Amino acid sequence: MTVTPATTLADLDRARDTALDLSGWGRRFSFYQPRNVAFWAYLLLVGIGFLVFVSTLALKFDAYGQAIGLAVTSFGIYAALFWWFAQHIDHYAKLPAKLMVVAFVWGGFAATGAMAANANDAILALYSKTFGQVWALNWGAGLAAPFTEEWAKGSGLLLLIAMAPRQVRTAFDGFILGAFIGLGFQIIEDITYALTSAGTQFGANQIGASIGTIVLRMVSGVAAHILYSAIFCAGLVYLLGRPAEPRKVGRGLLLVAIPMLLHGTWDSVGAIAGPSALKLIGLLIAVIVIALAIFVQVYKATVKRERDFVRDVMAPEQARNVITPVELDAMAGNRKARKAYRKAGRKAGGKRRERKRARYVLNAAYALADELAAARGAETDRVRFARSEVARIRAGVPSQW
Amino acid sequence: MDMASAAAPPRFEPDERWVPADERWFGLDRRTIRPTLVVFALAIVMSVVLPITDATVPYHDNVKAGDVLELEGDVTFVPEAGWGITSGLRAGHAPLSGEYPATATIEDGAIKFTVHTGQFHGDAHQLLDQIETTSEALNSGRGVRVTGAPTTIVTDQGKQGATVRISGPHTVGLIAAFVFGTRGVEAVATGPSDAGSVPAATVLEMIRSISKPGEGKQ
Repeated sequence: MTVTPATTLADLDRARDTALDLSGWGRRFSFYQPRNVAFWAYLLLVGIGFLVFVSTLALKFDAYGQAIGLAVTSFGIYAALFWWFAQHIDHYAKLPAKLMVVAFVWGGFAATGAMAANANDAILALYSKTFGQVWALNWGAGLAAPFTEEWAKGSGLLLLIAMAPRQVRTAFDGFILGAFIGLGFQIIEDITYALTSAGTQFGANQIGASIGTIVLRMVSGVAAHILYSAIFCAGLVYLLGRPAEPRKVGRGLLLVAIPMLLHGTWDSVGAIAGPSALKLIGLLIAVIVIALAIFVQVYKATVKRERDFVRDVMAPEQARNVITPVELDAMAGNRKARKAYRKAGRKAGGKRRERKRARYVLNAAYALADELAAARGAETDRVRFARSEVARIRAGVPSQW
Repeated sequence: MDMASAAAPPRFEPDERWVPADERWFGLDRRTIRPTLVVFALAIVMSVVLPITDATVPYHDNVKAGDVLELEGDVTFVPEAGWGITSGLRAGHAPLSGEYPATATIEDGAIKFTVHTGQFHGDAHQLLDQIETTSEALNSGRGVRVTGAPTTIVTDQGKQGATVRISGPHTVGLIAAFVFGTRGVEAVATGPSDAGSVPAATVLEMIRSISKPGEGKQ
């Protein structure tokens, strides 16, 4: 919403209420919902997947304990990094952290052990029986996983929408939750791959046998499940339509198809490149670059609505002179806008301390936006305090807390 | 512009678990049934329908006289004609990547013969020990166990290996191990114990056919 001279404060407050209503920003999420059928389905499928995974680890622990320890530790750190990144890009109308955990767990256990793994084995065997083993080795994975894995992961979003209809409102919400579903899937799949590698040398030299797989999976994982699921789930939201995201079937189908195509290509690069190692590396890099470029474009296309929500929620604060128009632009802008905001302070000859203070003001303003969202736009003590914090930091007064 | 401070009371929103009276069905939120059914349908297709379909589709790829199966690292063996190939590729029919798989399995009724290759530093007896250790750890001592002492076996290529008999609650068989440089090869033959022992002559013939180019008598 654009602030024009004719816009009254009441209009801005109404626009804020509408934005908060539509976006679901700040609403709490309860996991335990006994009257929600999706909740029970989620528990059942995650439970099955969890049991499958834990029993596999338990069965192999005595034989491959070293490799399991290495894989779980390495991918645990890897997951923490990606977790930070995925949360970092969701800094506008944020989703509840609990919902992200629920998404991660679906991807890790239900989508893998309870769904895709069974289907992959069966489809690969059927391909072998129908088209021969050579064909199945060449193209089987590329023509099985994109269908089974992308839909197993994506179906989690259907349950999440049924469990959190007031929170999952935009394609960007689908994008973020998809990234977390993909992260869970990626981590559990990577641990399973490392476990398989541990046995390739008859159980000897487990670390040496699995370390190559771990490194390769970490490098290639940059443009794999996290990215595919983020795009797929954004597409699913466009396909279904949400209160804050009108249905766009064409765009939805395209975004559902793109990760399946990328996934299929990735799984078939060995067959496409043939025995040439150089061709293989070139193709792998090309697929990663293309996938990342598409990921960035989908992020840019979906995040715009979230930025508009930030603007609508904070415009009344700007009208009340709590924040400046420049700060509002930085808050509701992209990374470049925030960089420009910081640079403006530098160009104006601002001292280091003042530039720092400007950054803190922006952080406090984001905290105020979160409090306003949690209070559904009402004046609460928390909102008043968050507002006073913006003023305190701007004035350079030290915190008494 | 109206600069009065906003003082709207918090707008009421029902509890997250609240279900409108006209959306209840036996106490459940009716709106959540449809998406759940879609996900359940998908899960059933993936975990029940596809595996059952696979199990009902027969597979016939029988070994013909003269067939040679090839594994990763140029390891080959000659399977018995008439047995069914359940996994593994014939020599000269590599996938487009050029890499043969590390495992091949053939079956004749309930009798199964699997050859697996991988990197290994040591001799055939050490490989056999390693296989035994890993197998015991995987089975927690409850599955197939080694019975008797290892004996020596020599392939047609002149490669010396080690073999040992195994038995389990319902299974009997043998394991053979060879090491070609740094490439270990494990061959496992198993069959049901009530059908007597696995056809020793046929299995031993297949084990003796294991070879790797450039590996002479050692």
